[in-house]
Amino acid sequence: MIRRPNQNRSIIVLVAPAFIFVLVFFVLPLIFLLSQSVLPGDGGFTLTGYADFFESRVSRIVYLRTLKIGLIVTGISVLMSYPAAFLLARMPARRRSFLMLLVILPLMTNAVARTFAWLIILGKRGMINQTLMSLGLVETPVRFMYTETAIVLGLTQLFLPLMVLPLVSAMENIPDDVLEAARSLGANRLTTFVRIVVPLSSDGLVLGATLVFTGSVTAFVTPAILGGSRLLMMSTLLRQKSVAIFDQQAAAVIAVVMILTTLAVNLLLRVGRVRQV
Amino acid sequence: MPHLEIHDLTVSYVKDQPTLERFNLGVEQGELLSLLGPSGCGKTTTLRSVAGFIQPDAGRIVIDGRDYTRLPPNQRDIGLVFQSYALFPHLSVFDNVAFGLRMRRVSRNKVRSRVTTALEMVGLEAFAKRRPAQLSGGQQQRVALARATVIEPQVLLLDEPLSNLDARLRVDMRQEIRRLQQQLGITTLYVTHDQVEAMSISDRVVVMNQGEIEQIGTPESIFAAPETAFVADFMGFDNHFSAAVIALRDSKLTVEWGGAPIELRWRSKIGSPQIGDRAEVFFRADDASLTAGRDAHGLAGEVILSTFHGTELRYLVDTEIGEFSIMQDSASERYAPGAAVTVQPHTGKWIAIFGEREQPA
Amino acid sequence: MVSRWMYISLVILYSFLIGPFIIIFMASFGANANLAFPPQGFTLDWFANVFERSQFIDGFWVSLRLGLLATIASLIMGIPVAYALTRFQFAAAGLVETVFSAPILVPGLVIGFAMLKFYVRLGDLNVLTVLFIGHTAILFPYSVRVISASLRNLDPNVEDAAISLGASRLRGFLLVVLPNMQAGIAAAFVLGFITSFNNVPVSLFLSGPGVTTLPVAMFSYLEYHFDPTIGALSTLLVIFTIALVQTAERLLGLSQFV
Repeated sequence: MIRRPNQNRSIIVLVAPAFIFVLVFFVLPLIFLLSQSVLPGDGGFTLTGYADFFESRVSRIVYLRTLKIGLIVTGISVLMSYPAAFLLARMPARRRSFLMLLVILPLMTNAVARTFAWLIILGKRGMINQTLMSLGLVETPVRFMYTETAIVLGLTQLFLPLMVLPLVSAMENIPDDVLEAARSLGANRLTTFVRIVVPLSSDGLVLGATLVFTGSVTAFVTPAILGGSRLLMMSTLLRQKSVAIFDQQAAAVIAVVMILTTLAVNLLLRVGRVRQV
Repeated sequence: MPHLEIHDLTVSYVKDQPTLERFNLGVEQGELLSLLGPSGCGKTTTLRSVAGFIQPDAGRIVIDGRDYTRLPPNQRDIGLVFQSYALFPHLSVFDNVAFGLRMRRVSRNKVRSRVTTALEMVGLEAFAKRRPAQLSGGQQQRVALARATVIEPQVLLLDEPLSNLDARLRVDMRQEIRRLQQQLGITTLYVTHDQVEAMSISDRVVVMNQGEIEQIGTPESIFAAPETAFVADFMGFDNHFSAAVIALRDSKLTVEWGGAPIELRWRSKIGSPQIGDRAEVFFRADDASLTAGRDAHGLAGEVILSTFHGTELRYLVDTEIGEFSIMQDSASERYAPGAAVTVQPHTGKWIAIFGEREQPA
Repeated sequence: MVSRWMYISLVILYSFLIGPFIIIFMASFGANANLAFPPQGFTLDWFANVFERSQFIDGFWVSLRLGLLATIASLIMGIPVAYALTRFQFAAAGLVETVFSAPILVPGLVIGFAMLKFYVRLGDLNVLTVLFIGHTAILFPYSVRVISASLRNLDPNVEDAAISLGASRLRGFLLVVLPNMQAGIAAAFVLGFITSFNNVPVSLFLSGPGVTTLPVAMFSYLEYHFDPTIGALSTLLVIFTIALVQTAERLLGLSQFV
């Protein structure tokens, strides 16, 4: 890139409309939200909203549950994606592009539709219960709905593609030569995978983990349908506070905690990635 | 008066660290002048300033007596050829070449005839309907050349036009560019970091280093008689040592070589040398030879390494004043590593240079 | 390097990714109203129900219009930003990039919630306007990123070549840059439209009386009804999405891009 005559004026003209739009309609609302979380109705500044949040047993449980579910979903996604991604990355281009399309397709369908399937699978007369009962393993339906398991399954299905895609693209960049070199130097398959493939695809792993984790801890539709008001996560708690209980300050506090959590995860993993390089 | 004049050109990307400072250059009508230097020496900055893509902090660009300095790049009458070819990927070869003429609102018939002529000149008339992606690198660069010259610009600028081509094609294209340039008689500024390329294509060469002109002259004069250590290094003088001047006579000076005096040509940018000054002496690997054994007259040394280069062998010889690289005909006597030899100077092409470093305080 | 357990894991992965869609598909033709599986009998009643319910039909048109308008708006404003980011070097580039990627970093539900609280103060805006503004803002990261990628693929010297041949900067952009961005713009368009069309969390708070997007309508329906209607609608949406992507691929050759 080269400096050009009058470039500052050009840049301002190009960037200003969108910049102002995002500033007014996106950044300002967030600043307003932040102010709502620390300003009580009668003026002044207070952190009681945050104190209330962290002192309340319910919200503490919900917050920790959200983080726990996020970690589990991320872990399962990694385990399910890693070997498969390696295989996908080594496939002939045509077969791979078809299979990758199948990974992308779910991303193009809305979360309500994708979560709906779990009602059929996990419901009282759902697929699993019917199977268990017909096999005589249980006599009355087992309750899967409104459990952490249900939410974990739903979220994993929802965010799995976000782990597969970056992993495949990272693994595509590992040349076959490198793997052959490792084998020729005496490494067996497992060692090669652990010592060569894993480190060389760690960028994709970190990116995928960031996307899946932040997606899981902030998702709304899936916890709302599969957890309902009986098993709250941060997002469903936020909606409950705002719409059902009308405690706007508490809702604002939850919103800010959610933002800070995702930012922290993003920063943490980014720092980790930089250090590795 | 030169056709293209650059007066006191100053450009800084970083404040107070000018890439070019008060840079002056003139290119004569119909001349091909090369700017030669390592990356970061300011050659591309100079070219882009002439093209108008860089607004200089100070200085003037004058072409054919007209001040171009404040003129936007699209109103300058300049043809530009890029290292990356920069062809328009969505347009056919014909439309690529026609682009500049259409911008100038040349009539449809004239566009057709001029583009056809231009494509004939670069031997691509059969490819008019192809897209750039369907052409080889050499063909793409020919299209770029036709596109830049069909508008009959005042000045043609070429920015490392051959760097993306492979070695053999580069030689062909070099000749092609030179032929076209002479046929059209177009004033040309040619930027390159390849000294062989600059030597073979130019009327005059400007060797640049850190925004300054080190030397300007015909390829022959620069090749034979570099004026600075930088140019000598850049022109492939493989060997150098420093020695005290022990005598001065006419246009020559004398230094010691293995106990014996040798007489050398010299160049200085800091006035005439005095007896006792230190000279930097440069010579090429093929301007010395080896004889077996330690000779009382000549510099004794020991062969460290020999490498085979077809008709020649290159020896690395360690002596008391440093290591030298010497080329020998492979038909002549061979020396194994460890052999004692004497380095015989062929001083006709050697040169002693006095640079700023030796200037007394 | 490839071993059998990798194939097993591939099969597990794909049954997890695609299985739910097959189950939805089967259930949407089943006659039982209580989401029992495997479905009994065959009926098209649930598809009929989709078309009888005004919230779905209206929601579809709202989502369609919203998706198109917000995507176009985000492209019109986003293309110049991508151009500035890829063609100029400037100190504030990092800030600009951060601001335009921020909508991806902030949870959708939080965005919707914050926008609701704020836009209410802006005055009496109509619901569709509010949705349009919100969706446009959240689409910027996609349009700026995809367009930037397509601009990075185009040699910047191409524009300089056009200018040196006599084109003004604007003309150089229109004649040389824009035609080479077609695939990038199409990719950004499809991505933006699908993102907007599927969005729930932002729309959830911004939807108002009488104006609801399709996914929000689906979500609300599920809060009160437990029958395969949503399955039937989902089946239709999957077909709609595949058709959309296929058309875009046919017309514009997206796969070279995404």
